[in-house]
Amino acid sequence: MSEGQDSAGDADDVPDTDVLHADDMSDDDAHVLGDGTANQVVGAEAKSVLEFMARQIVDEPDAVVIEPDERGPSRVDLRLHVAPDDMGKIIGRRGRVAQAIRTVVRAVGAREGVETTVDIVD
Amino acid sequence: MDDREVPLNEQADTGRAFLEGLVAQLSLSASVATVELDEDTVELRVDGSDLGFLIGPKGATLGALQDVTRTVVNRKTGGRNGRLMVDVAGYRQKRKVALERFTREVVVQVQQTGTPRVLEPMAPPDRKIVHDTVNDLEGVSTVSEGEEPARRVIITPD
Repeated sequence: MSEGQDSAGDADDVPDTDVLHADDMSDDDAHVLGDGTANQVVGAEAKSVLEFMARQIVDEPDAVVIEPDERGPSRVDLRLHVAPDDMGKIIGRRGRVAQAIRTVVRAVGAREGVETTVDIVD
Repeated sequence: MDDREVPLNEQADTGRAFLEGLVAQLSLSASVATVELDEDTVELRVDGSDLGFLIGPKGATLGALQDVTRTVVNRKTGGRNGRLMVDVAGYRQKRKVALERFTREVVVQVQQTGTPRVLEPMAPPDRKIVHDTVNDLEGVSTVSEGEEPARRVIITPD
């Protein structure tokens, strides 16, 4: 008796039944995450930390752009663009600022299992 | 960028805000505290769990993090006066204690053998710890030789 009532209730509640279907759920998630969620990108944390640091150092933070160049499943080259007038600031005397940034970004990448390099390009 | 005098606490606040932002970016459960070491030196201490990756081999990543923090502070405040240090998980303090202990062991050897000992190349702050430790002891003294980054301390009997 109670079984019959339960199935009747499920049949009424169509949206719930759909959501509870495991295959549908993972397909939906893959779709949503595939559409530009940062976590899906190789070295996403390294990229966000690079962006955060670069924006704090330059005069034109909105000109900071990072192009990730994936070199494999666990290797990424982060190509950092800044405004022309900010090049000197991001590189620093004898490249010291750039070197420090690279070291921190590499450590963050290594933590998520990604070999990360940073190229400063104009 | 001009080198105007900027109160050290203003520089420390800027550095702390930067480090707090970085910690948030990394989703770490860590806090940043400001500690005045002396009137010219402030240390920003990052403490929390799983911070080893921010220290790196021989503190290399920590050194880089300190460089980036100083750069950000200089850009935002224009100040370069005074010294801003960054420590993560007490690494600098532990290293200082270990280096003092190592130095005292070498001093005992120099006193017993009467021959100088040349230490491995060290960064300036580490050399200062060695100099200070040796200078507190009798019968030994220090000299430095070589060029950065291969500059090293020699402990000699008097």
